[in-house]
Amino acid sequence: MSAMDRRPPGKPAAKRITVLQGEAHASSAPQVELSTVLGSCVATCLFDPIARVGGMNHFLLAEPPPHLGHLEFDEHYGLFLMELLINEMLKLGAAKSRLKARLYGGANMNSGLSQIGSANAAFARRFLQQEGIVQAFEDLEGQSARRVYFQPATGRVRCSTTAQAAIPKQKPAAPPQSDIGQVELF
Amino acid sequence: MTKGHEMTQSTRILTVDDSASMRALLLNALQQEGFNVEQAVDGQDALDWLATNEVDVIITDINMPRLDGFGLIERLRESARHADRPILVLSTESSDEKKRRARDAGATGWIVKPFNADKLAAAVRRIAH
Repeated sequence: MSAMDRRPPGKPAAKRITVLQGEAHASSAPQVELSTVLGSCVATCLFDPIARVGGMNHFLLAEPPPHLGHLEFDEHYGLFLMELLINEMLKLGAAKSRLKARLYGGANMNSGLSQIGSANAAFARRFLQQEGIVQAFEDLEGQSARRVYFQPATGRVRCSTTAQAAIPKQKPAAPPQSDIGQVELF
Repeated sequence: MTKGHEMTQSTRILTVDDSASMRALLLNALQQEGFNVEQAVDGQDALDWLATNEVDVIITDINMPRLDGFGLIERLRESARHADRPILVLSTESSDEKKRRARDAGATGWIVKPFNADKLAAAVRRIAH
């Protein structure tokens, strides 16, 4: 520890991971802190207090592209990121039945435009209810951007409002894998 | 076990997924394509139901409690009744190792979530006996 390091003795150095739109990260490492900046996007912070495993995703529901047919693929993409997050946590020893959720974001930044923030928030709440996951807390909707820090090993979250200019340019993104929807027959 | 509405098309599909949200999405998508859909909440639920029922195609997730997708495929392939039943894996996973394991267990194919309803329906029609 250097003379300028103000960490308490024995406290490990923080490893901050930024969770971008379309991503999901899980960890049980005490030094890891997940962070994100949200406008109309929603971040789900899940925590298993027994396994001490946590994870965060960051999604923005997309309008269904014409080539994807007639389904409501906006929810499909949010569902994908929820499942991706849960699966990553299960790999680290979490149990779905023990998960507790905290939801952040979903702001409606431009009052004249579509209420996509509220749509994101409604999807997240509905998903948790359908899956039987306890929603422990929410800080959703409103008109302010948010900055969220989540310690996955403890479940501790800090959230503050931030300037809209701090938000990375966000738009409904293509799913993050190139082989999404790919059909492979053996 | 839940049951979708009767459809005129005779192809019957059993979807196996522990996520209620994903089951709802699959039910909606496959019914709109004209399939008759049955649903199980995990591999064990599917095995129990298949002990006394028949379907044309099985679509299963991998990560599930009690009995996962790999276990389900292995158990079905041990049964003469289901030895040749088409089984598609529908998963967020896409690693070659997982696909190889599914293929070795006897899966017919692999689809990466989020699925494209048109491609999923085309795959089902292609493999349905």
